[in-house]
Amino acid sequence: MYPHAWLILILPMLGFIFLSWYGKRVSKTVAGFIGCATIGVAFLITLTLLAGLLISDPAERVGNVQVAYSWLNMQTFHLDLAILVDPLSVFMLLVITGVGFLIHVYSVGYMSEDPEYARFFSYMNFFIFSMSLLVLAADFFFLIVGWAMVGLASYLLIGFWTHKTSAVLAARKAFVMNVIGDVGMVIAAFMIYDHFGSISYAEVFSAAPAKFMANDVDILLITLFLLVGAFAKSAQIPLHTWLPDAMEGPTPVSALIHAATMVTAGVYLIARCNVLYMLAPYTLFLIASVGVLTALFAGAMGMVQYDIKRVIAYSTMSQLGYMFLAVGVGVFSVGMFHLMTHAFFKALLFLGAGSVIHSLHEEQDIRKMGGLARPMPITFATFLIASLALTAFPLTAGFYSKDAIIMHSYFSEYGNFVFWGLALLGAGMTGFYTFRLFFYTFLGKSRSPEAHPHESPWVMVVPLMILAFLSLFAGHLAGWVNEFLAPVFGGHVPHAPHDSIMEATAITVSLLGIVSAIGLYLTGKNQLEFVKTVGAPLYDLMLNKFYIDELYNFFITKPMRVIGKFFEQRAEREGIDFAIDMVGDQVREVSRQISVLQSGKVRWYAFNTVAGLILVLVFVIFL
Amino acid sequence: MLSLIVFIPLLAGLFLMLKRGLELEKVIKLAYGAVATAFVLSLFALVGYDFHHGEMQYVDSFVWVPLLNITYTVGADGISLWLVALTAFLGILAINSARTQKQNPQQFLALILMMLAGTLGVFVALDTILFYVFWELMLVPTYFLIGMWGEGKRIYATTKFVLYTLVGSLLMLVAIVWITVIHYDATQVLTFDIQTLVQTHIPSEVQLFLFGFFFLAFAIKVPIFPFHSWLPHTYVACPIPVLVLLTGAMSKTGAYGLIRFCLPLFPEAVSDFSLIIGAMAAGGIVYGAWIAVAQRDIKALVAYSSISHLGFIVLGIFSGNNQGMSGSVLQMVNHGIIASALFLIVGMLEERVGTRDLDRFCGLKGRMPMLYAMFMLITLAALGLPGLNGFVGEFLILMAVWTSPVLGEMAFIYVLMAGLAIVFASVYMLYMFQGAMQESTIKLPKDMTDIDRREQGLLIPACILVVFLGLFPAVVIDRVEPAVKHVLHTEKTVNLPAHSDGHGGH
Repeated sequence: MYPHAWLILILPMLGFIFLSWYGKRVSKTVAGFIGCATIGVAFLITLTLLAGLLISDPAERVGNVQVAYSWLNMQTFHLDLAILVDPLSVFMLLVITGVGFLIHVYSVGYMSEDPEYARFFSYMNFFIFSMSLLVLAADFFFLIVGWAMVGLASYLLIGFWTHKTSAVLAARKAFVMNVIGDVGMVIAAFMIYDHFGSISYAEVFSAAPAKFMANDVDILLITLFLLVGAFAKSAQIPLHTWLPDAMEGPTPVSALIHAATMVTAGVYLIARCNVLYMLAPYTLFLIASVGVLTALFAGAMGMVQYDIKRVIAYSTMSQLGYMFLAVGVGVFSVGMFHLMTHAFFKALLFLGAGSVIHSLHEEQDIRKMGGLARPMPITFATFLIASLALTAFPLTAGFYSKDAIIMHSYFSEYGNFVFWGLALLGAGMTGFYTFRLFFYTFLGKSRSPEAHPHESPWVMVVPLMILAFLSLFAGHLAGWVNEFLAPVFGGHVPHAPHDSIMEATAITVSLLGIVSAIGLYLTGKNQLEFVKTVGAPLYDLMLNKFYIDELYNFFITKPMRVIGKFFEQRAEREGIDFAIDMVGDQVREVSRQISVLQSGKVRWYAFNTVAGLILVLVFVIFL
Repeated sequence: MLSLIVFIPLLAGLFLMLKRGLELEKVIKLAYGAVATAFVLSLFALVGYDFHHGEMQYVDSFVWVPLLNITYTVGADGISLWLVALTAFLGILAINSARTQKQNPQQFLALILMMLAGTLGVFVALDTILFYVFWELMLVPTYFLIGMWGEGKRIYATTKFVLYTLVGSLLMLVAIVWITVIHYDATQVLTFDIQTLVQTHIPSEVQLFLFGFFFLAFAIKVPIFPFHSWLPHTYVACPIPVLVLLTGAMSKTGAYGLIRFCLPLFPEAVSDFSLIIGAMAAGGIVYGAWIAVAQRDIKALVAYSSISHLGFIVLGIFSGNNQGMSGSVLQMVNHGIIASALFLIVGMLEERVGTRDLDRFCGLKGRMPMLYAMFMLITLAALGLPGLNGFVGEFLILMAVWTSPVLGEMAFIYVLMAGLAIVFASVYMLYMFQGAMQESTIKLPKDMTDIDRREQGLLIPACILVVFLGLFPAVVIDRVEPAVKHVLHTEKTVNLPAHSDGHGGH
């Protein structure tokens, strides 16, 4: 019914192939145009898919599988190359191609000075292709393919500036962490195949409820192995350390991959497999716990960082934690809605930060910024809107999505008071770090007088304005999103009960965060130094990211290397190889001794011959 | 057809060896012509192959030694045809890469052709003695190729390689004769024909020994951990054109032998030993990967990564089901393409920078964008990126291991070990790729140039194939699976003990 959905995959792929092949030979304008146009058209096609779904009956919206060809047809294992068009995939595609298109347009301005302009757009197109494949896949195999390919795109774009050693290392770290996740997903796919004899969504999800009781060991293992992939991709504890480092890439990359789309793939995965996860309440509890803890830890780390992009990166981790909290308490569409609003305002924050970095000539330290409100009014205004949306300020988009999560974390069937309290605490932190960043960057006096900041060109500013509009008003879509996605989540439309006291508490806590940021950063330095001194040990921990990188280095990376060396030296050279050589030497030694017999004396040979003959005769006669 | 594929390179090799004083141009043309003909013929064979049944096809047979009824019998099924095509393809790459050989190129090419012919012969021989003859035929040229054109400790390496493999193959010869004797005892028919012999039921207690002899020969050839210690020495000493054949084609002869001999001949011993061999394979997967992480010499790094990847192939063969073995055959083709391309790249890098030590060069991307792109694609295929060919094979193999009837509880551990190795693979492959190509461009010779057309020609086919086989693995699997079924379900009709309930293969 939706064969043209393939174009969403084909167009970015063609863009990628063309730009990587001819990119060097065409002008920057052409390269930029092709990069953006493919994604723009993909977005339009997504809109037609949306329209197609909306006019069809809700029951017919799910399970539209488009088969391209039979990818593998074995006796025991059959797999088609197929895509699935349903509300969830179209919803994700709207975000991917929509926000992706805006970021592509923005990049035309942001990357205009870069000598490898065409390569940038070819990688970006490749990313859109991979991400679309990830959400369109109709089975776990192509999900994994898309999953790994977005990892590759992320690797390529983090390490885009290949001459920077830090970028190269960050890219490798991201890739390896993602491979750990991939392996988890692959094992989950094996378990699914083992139990269901198939790895296509339709067959697995329809058979699952009859096959497993709630909290069966096998369903727990399947969901947990899937979760390894989800945590690695979405930078949840303990697989989060790659995300802050990923900020080495160009800023549009951070906006597209490490804020709006790729890192949310983990949330998408859990939403997609909601049938399996609903059978595993223990896993859901784990997801919610890890989510809320990540929200807190990331928030804490974000409160003390000085790199503008890293602060936003920690904030992304923290907001991803909220999404995991939402899906962990079983309200999948609420999580997806936060995914969407977060894509808007977080992409906006990153693009705004990019605008600032661009005008300050690659300066990322917020201590050297300040007073940018006057020279960059549009960036200032849109950044403010994004910050308000991020802190869930009433009537912004973030308010509708995040507040719903906080409410559901208590009222949902799987929620409890602890989740609610911790989510609230995280919301307070969000307010603090967001406005700390905002004040540092835009208010006060300029701290680097030699710089001459200027507003960015239109091609960068217009996407900012569109995203700002969405960040302000997308909140009203909450009800519609819940309805639209309901067929995928078993027809379940979550309704949080209204509790004015709890809602008021949530708003107050967020505002308290903002107020404390004002108190510390707008009214003079004294309190700030005081707080730093009082909380020195904690401040130290937060500033050093709780020493998790160091722990991993000490307990995993170093031992891995040492054991590798040990294997090479002791097991290989002095063990196996030596043993084999010893066998050879022994043989040679023995033959040398035997060769004494070959003395060259004819009498001795004759004697031996006769002795041998007699021996043979004795054997023949007597035995 | 198959005889032509084997004998055209063989005769060309003999001609080049005996005929002195030809112009270099002509020598290269002749070598190319011979290998290209073999390759085209092998493609025809693949296209004409009827993949609805897994029987041997294209069978040619005549009596060779009437006294012992040794025959010259060649034939191929889906498994061997792919390996033949792969070998001929790698032969073209090897000849192309050998064109720059300065020292005595005529003899070099002649020996390569003979090595190629031996390898091709192993894949099509259907008579145990003929198999053995080809098996040794591929060894002799290798000895001279490494000993005379190698580098470093080449004499030590080549002697070790040849002696090690000879020990295995002599035991195999004993086993070959022994099987024929068992068959003769049962039927009074003297034959060395593999297809007849596999129908013989071999008494369980004898199976153990025979299986051991065959397995040792093949395990050394593949090599399976811990019989691998010749490999790093040999690979590091080996000249690149020879290495292309050695890693791409010759290591597959061991795995092919396991499929053609061990599985159908000794089903009971196989099911008894699957767990242990699985442990060796899985151990090798991790061991090779782990040592590769610690390497700084890129040739040694790729060599150890080969040990790891070959472990996957062996693991799939002993998983005991269709999927795993089909995956293994696919992975043999994949590894042949990827590993040879990697070694070719190593050769190109070494030729330009003059060293293989990763600590001593970096940042080649700026000078060689073309190599950068191709190197990246091959790297990604080697580390098993989903979507490219390497992953399909690994996925099928590990999925088969997971659901394997014979590996049982241990399957989980083997898969986890393989998973660990996949993570390591991403570490060491990226170490190599990024270490060589990225970061700052210091300490590079001024006159360094990107790869030329000839070198692109070496890598482009591999680049196309890794993408193509990732998208259309069915091209291989469709032809392999019927043959695999045939191997796994060999009927034992001859010499069944009276109490047996008549089931064979499983």
